[in-house]
Amino acid sequence: MSKRTPVLFQIGWNACINCGACVAICPQEAGFISPFDTIAVDKPCDIACLICEDICPVSTITHTEVIPTK
Amino acid sequence: MNKQYDVVIIGSGPAGTTTARIAAEHHLNVLLVDKKQELGSPIQCSGAVSRHALEYVGIAPSTEYIQEAIYGFDIYNQVGKHKTIDYRDLKPEEYGASEDKKPLGYVVDRRRFDRYLMTQAERAGVDVWLKTEGLGYKVNPDGTCTVFLKRFNEEINVQAKVLVGADGLQSQVGKWAGLHTHIKLPELASCLQFIVDNVETNGLLEIITGHEWAPGGYAWVFPKGHGYAEIGLGVARTMTEKNAQWHIDHFIKNSFFKERFKHSKVLEIQGGGVPLAAPLKTQYADNLILVGDAARHVNPITGGGIHTALSGGAIAGNFLSNFLRKNIAATANQLSQYQEEWLVALGNKMWKLYDIKTEIFKTKNIQDRDQMLYQTMSDYFSPDSEFKKI
Repeated sequence: MSKRTPVLFQIGWNACINCGACVAICPQEAGFISPFDTIAVDKPCDIACLICEDICPVSTITHTEVIPTK
Repeated sequence: MNKQYDVVIIGSGPAGTTTARIAAEHHLNVLLVDKKQELGSPIQCSGAVSRHALEYVGIAPSTEYIQEAIYGFDIYNQVGKHKTIDYRDLKPEEYGASEDKKPLGYVVDRRRFDRYLMTQAERAGVDVWLKTEGLGYKVNPDGTCTVFLKRFNEEINVQAKVLVGADGLQSQVGKWAGLHTHIKLPELASCLQFIVDNVETNGLLEIITGHEWAPGGYAWVFPKGHGYAEIGLGVARTMTEKNAQWHIDHFIKNSFFKERFKHSKVLEIQGGGVPLAAPLKTQYADNLILVGDAARHVNPITGGGIHTALSGGAIAGNFLSNFLRKNIAATANQLSQYQEEWLVALGNKMWKLYDIKTEIFKTKNIQDRDQMLYQTMSDYFSPDSEFKKI
């Protein structure tokens, strides 16, 4: 389940019910959130445990891998 | 010079407003902030609360927020066998719909309920700022702390003796202080509920257990007033491949209630994460305490959190008024006494419930586990339960 490569999350804003479960489960430090109280979508997550995708009641969080720039 | 308060509270839900109101009733100077423009929304909660829980913190039952009165419970196993615990039958002289009798509890509209609680806090003298986000806090050498806020477009710093994090399960305030607010995946139920038309109810909170319907949690059917009902469930994502949405669909279409639900029409969709977890081990830091969901003051068996938020808020409000009268710096060491008082009043029983819950869900055999959960729920809601007031 867990990946090492950093990921950027995408949220299906239409399906999202704004329940906050993704932020509640997130092991990131404070502030890894979007203005809509979801997991951040504007910066890469380097933990990439992906448990936010699991907890989402409507399965609307997806990700793309970010290739680190050197 | 920054504006100064005795207490700044971030998050205006049941825990934050109750802490604020009780602190203000004891003549503390209190600021309550919430980033929302409308409280209680989006709804992440079924809204069930006992009458006792309201009375205990001095909140009058009001039609402003009550959607329907509740008189008991109906606990189902997976195939529809059930135990009815209806206080109208158990104690008919005390419980009923007539004017000389009382309900056991209520289903409330969280949008109205949270606003009502805020109104009571404001009337007690609390300053309330909506559309105000907490950005961070820092501990000052003089024993106070500075709280960084953003109100609409303006950044404002205020000084406080104690900051209270009442910002829910997603608590950012706890994270600012480095507290371990992170919850584990098996212990957060992924919940979804529909407000529906065309489903009859009878003043009872119906709880449906069974791995088939809600692995790692349970399903519910609650009366919601005006002839509406709430159908919901919570699942542990470590115990199922499917999401909550799939499970609620399966429950509505295939459970022993499928005939009852056949003509149901969805009016609203709500969801959330509900902790079926232990209370936070450390709920305090320098100049900071946590209340409500932020401190995981949630019943680990039922996931109920309104009662525990109200009671916890009252404990925090009373503690702060006693503590701040002493005029000593609010170090983590001093504030640990808040947690001690909370443990004695509520927390120790919550830990016991957590142990029961853990015992159930570590049982590998599904039939045994289902039987344990059904039995525990039935016992839990019975009139002689030792956990009646949690």
